[in-house]
Amino acid sequence: MSILSRNVTRRRALTIAATAVTVALAATGCGDGGSAPALPGAAGGDKAAQSVFDAAPVASDAEIPAGSTMDKIRKRGYLTVGGSLDAPLLSQQNPVTGEIEGFDADMAKLLAKYIIGKPEVKTVTIGTQTREAMLQAKEVDAVFQTYTITPQRATQVAFAGPYLTSGLAVAVRKDETSIKSVKDLAGKTVIVGANTPAVTALPEAAPGSKQVAFATDPQAVQALLQKRGDAYVQDFTLLASNAKSNPGMKVVGEPFTTEAYGIGLNHEDTEFKEFVNNWLRKIQADGTWAKVWQNTLGSVVEGGTPTPPAIGSVEGS
Amino acid sequence: MDALTGHLGEFGHGLVTTVHMTVVTTIGALLLGVIVATLRICPVPLLRGVGTVYVEVLQNLPLLALLVLFVFALPTIGITFPLFTSAAIVISAYEGAYLAEAIRAGINTVGVGQAEAARAIGLTFSQSLRYVILPQGLRAVIQPMGTICIALLMNTSLAAAVGVVELTQAANNVNLVEAQPIAVFTGAGLAYMLLALLISRITGALERRFAIVR
Amino acid sequence: MNPNQQILFDVPGPRAQRRIRIATVLGALAILGGIAWAVHQFASHGELAAERWQPFTTWPIWRYLLDALWATLLAAAATAVLSGALGLLLALGRLSAHRPLRWLAGAYVEVFRTVPALLLVYITLFALPKYGLNFPLFWKLVVPLVVSNAAAFAEIFRAGIKALDRGQTEAGLAIGLRRGQVMRLVVLPQALLRLTPSLVSQLVGLLKDTSLGFVVSYTELLYSGQVLASYTHLLIQTFLVVALIYLVVNASLSKLARVLQARNGRLTTRGRSAAREPAATPLTPGSTAR
Repeated sequence: MSILSRNVTRRRALTIAATAVTVALAATGCGDGGSAPALPGAAGGDKAAQSVFDAAPVASDAEIPAGSTMDKIRKRGYLTVGGSLDAPLLSQQNPVTGEIEGFDADMAKLLAKYIIGKPEVKTVTIGTQTREAMLQAKEVDAVFQTYTITPQRATQVAFAGPYLTSGLAVAVRKDETSIKSVKDLAGKTVIVGANTPAVTALPEAAPGSKQVAFATDPQAVQALLQKRGDAYVQDFTLLASNAKSNPGMKVVGEPFTTEAYGIGLNHEDTEFKEFVNNWLRKIQADGTWAKVWQNTLGSVVEGGTPTPPAIGSVEGS
Repeated sequence: MDALTGHLGEFGHGLVTTVHMTVVTTIGALLLGVIVATLRICPVPLLRGVGTVYVEVLQNLPLLALLVLFVFALPTIGITFPLFTSAAIVISAYEGAYLAEAIRAGINTVGVGQAEAARAIGLTFSQSLRYVILPQGLRAVIQPMGTICIALLMNTSLAAAVGVVELTQAANNVNLVEAQPIAVFTGAGLAYMLLALLISRITGALERRFAIVR
Repeated sequence: MNPNQQILFDVPGPRAQRRIRIATVLGALAILGGIAWAVHQFASHGELAAERWQPFTTWPIWRYLLDALWATLLAAAATAVLSGALGLLLALGRLSAHRPLRWLAGAYVEVFRTVPALLLVYITLFALPKYGLNFPLFWKLVVPLVVSNAAAFAEIFRAGIKALDRGQTEAGLAIGLRRGQVMRLVVLPQALLRLTPSLVSQLVGLLKDTSLGFVVSYTELLYSGQVLASYTHLLIQTFLVVALIYLVVNASLSKLARVLQARNGRLTTRGRSAAREPAATPLTPGSTAR
């Protein structure tokens, strides 16, 4: 349907022009200039992402046998990706441009570039309840959605990667002193995002903690600030980004889990999985992976760029 | 099927919360419904206006938006309720608006002669409502009220968005571990169907018990 | 208004009127005071600060929200037309003279009235593709909504048709019309007129139902609001704006219905001679069955 057309990268050039105009308008429109905090990630990050796409590798014809999934995608002209629109730094739609920005979104575009030659992606927003079904029904070619690789899930879908390892961390209100790490959470009320890895990881890491789940990240942050819980457990990159835009909260301690995120693929399609894994090895080796990381997650996480995870290193991948 | 049988505890807990929430909000919504319906036909114009605005606003907003605003905007003006209570209040208020309209429709079905008779024997506005109009009006709309209660049951699933672990959220949590959406959500769906059927049966029985043979 | 209302209390006398006036003024002051206090509290938490509302003064943000509103309206319109038509057929089926038809339509309505729309969305999403039925995205939202709303519409239509005086049908048959003709020319036009309020409230309910679109990845208004909130970090402001849009759209729909109703009401009374029950009860019992 036409409603999805705004997600299609084809309109990139137009929208970049539109952004430039709006940014100019916003600058002249509001008198106090730079003080408006509301709209992060404007044209600058977009350009950096574009240069990464321009330099990214493209598969040789030999790698794409006729009749394969890759061949179908190349003929179709775009990659259908299951993802989110509301995960800042990972896969967040910019309402101004309609573009989806972040690590997952950029990785999806790089895969599209590798197959098709252009970063043409059609993003279908999916929820954690629907992603297995979407892959099984071949509604989407691949899922990029901080999809933690687990043996149970691997019976339903195939995982390429891991392409990113991250971990859950703990955030608290600025004035909180008694919670210094996940060990201090016993007996506390802990906010988590509904349907995130924290839901299952928290009871293991902090037995005796009480869990409250909120549907979206902004709600969880608001809930923490309004004292609906003592701490918020979430992926540490997301927490770092929240703490950056929200002076009322801080991240304490180191990440306490290792989440290995994989690219979800159709369970039967071993050829495509092999292809995606080869692509991952290639972009890790040539530095593309590191550039994407710096453009997105690197903007809030301190310390240098991490080493990308080894492909196939996790049970289920 | 292991996805269901292996997690009976979670499902049971969610089901209990859903039933608890449904019962509490049904009672709240009925009370609110009667009060608002009364407001809308009372002699004082201001109160009529309040009743109208209440119904208009609540019927025209999606429940999820109301829940989020109640839970997150109210604390900014210094009022904070626990999450279950917040969800119960919002769902009661929301379904109360629908019940108020159903009850008002019921009041309209009561014959004009009844109201005339009540006034003729000297009952005041509130007395004639309480002893004559409402008992008959409510009976006339048991069936539509049952329909609203079923809608209310379905709508309790939205409480999941603001931190209440009821049946739908329990199903989501199980699915997060098991990755078996079809089994998990069919199971949850059947539970909702059974509960809805139960409500349907209860209202059916009430209707037969209280029906007015004219 | 309605007849009971004028009968239930006397027209207030001068003293009662004065009391009502004083109470009204005091009450209004109390309400205004409450609102002022709330706004003050809201502002003192910094929620009214200019930069928190600045994004909602820019065109791109509004274009985003209006796009989403358009998606919502499109899905709602498709659902309304299809479920209205299906609902009418089902209602006719339930009132038909053929037993199997009656039974089928009745079973449909009873089943789909008690299944949550969300579950139907899940079925279209998970189960049907396994049997080779794979709808495009838009229809993945619209089809389950049609299936569930058709049952609700059927109930409304049936109540409206049954509420109509039997004499109308009998008169139609007496002048030699066939059953189908009676339904089409006599009963339906009158029943539909009276049902306008219930139909519109169903329409508003259905418009809100489209917010289930986020499950099937259809970016309608409420979901877009969530995306916007996570982008701007302005949860409360975004939801207030989105709520306001829903309120304006739905209230205009209801208003339109009242205007239509009033105009039709005038037409029918004029057409029928005012002697016949001038204030026929506008609301049928089924009217709020959503």
